[in-house]
Amino acid sequence: MSVNAKQLISDFKNGLWQENPIFRLVIGMCPTLAVTNTMVNGLAMGLATSFVLISSEIVVSLIKKLIPGDVRIPSYILIIATFVTFVDYFLKAFYPSIAASLSLFVPLIVVNCLILGRQETFASQNPVHRSFADALGMGIGFTWALLLLSAVRELFGMGSMFGLQILGDWYRPMVIMVLPAGAFITLGILIAIMNVIGKNATNDTTCH
Amino acid sequence: MEKNSTKAMIITLATIGIISAILLTFVYQWTIPYIEANQEETRRIAINEVLPTAEEINQVERESQIFYEGYDSSGNRVGMAYQHSGGGYNGPIELMIGVDLEAEEIIRISILNHQETPGLGARITEEEYKSNFAGKPFGDYEVVKTPPSKTMEVQAVAGATISSANTTRIVEEAVSMINNAYGGGS
Repeated sequence: MSVNAKQLISDFKNGLWQENPIFRLVIGMCPTLAVTNTMVNGLAMGLATSFVLISSEIVVSLIKKLIPGDVRIPSYILIIATFVTFVDYFLKAFYPSIAASLSLFVPLIVVNCLILGRQETFASQNPVHRSFADALGMGIGFTWALLLLSAVRELFGMGSMFGLQILGDWYRPMVIMVLPAGAFITLGILIAIMNVIGKNATNDTTCH
Repeated sequence: MEKNSTKAMIITLATIGIISAILLTFVYQWTIPYIEANQEETRRIAINEVLPTAEEINQVERESQIFYEGYDSSGNRVGMAYQHSGGGYNGPIELMIGVDLEAEEIIRISILNHQETPGLGARITEEEYKSNFAGKPFGDYEVVKTPPSKTMEVQAVAGATISSANTTRIVEEAVSMINNAYGGGS
């Protein structure tokens, strides 16, 4: 039982740092670069993607034995698309302003390779509880990464956080940060920082 | 039945497709009243913004276009509102325009939907840009980068010339649509 619990925790923690979709695996870059210009957008995209990821990993893991190998990819896409459409309607109905600012990037979650990738490499080979732990970890890992990226871009690009003005009039916003080029620059710098931290962490453990 | 037979593949995909369609039908029926109410609310707020003196709004159809006529409490027509959209920098821009047909002037504009860059093009929704159009006579406008010196000049949002120019073009189109439907206003 404790081995089982340990396994679950390690499945969950995997996505947070070790195999973080954005900073480690560098997958799902389309929404990452496109919608992280404000923190509200980054958070909403992270949560929407997490919901789709968790739901579809559960379903795929449950019915994996029923799906013939040759049509597994189209089957996954259908399942993912169902949940994405649900999110799309849900946001339009209850969070219209978020739906308007994310616009076409919500339907595009269908083709986020993070989601399809996890079905193929994890959910289709592991039991439901482990798939859930993996999806939760990956989802939170994706969300915090988007939030960090959008925090940097919104702060430097507009001097605000979550739409609240943080920096005063003395600060001249660096417009490039909210443009696509700013996304690449921020992502590159953040990955570099993550690599340095990652390296130090491994060095520490070898010192013991 | 062999697992990878053509029949098995067709049955699998068809089953998933049917279940998905059934589920989404329920989701659609559940959310569509809210979605429509949201759109209605956005439109109502926009009409109130562009026709501030109107007490009552009548929806009329002319030349297969929908127009909103605003009347004050004593029943005089104070203006017309019309919703129009066109391409922006990142996606469609949808706006509401309020005009005074008698004076042949724009009263105000309001942006309903847009996908312009936050911090740049998105500033077309701010008063500084929208106020460009308040009280402008009908006609063709010129987008300029400095404070306007002539009546027909519209000042662009700094760093967002395309968004500003496209919005201005949508406004021009909207004005000519209204003019066509209401016989040139004269």
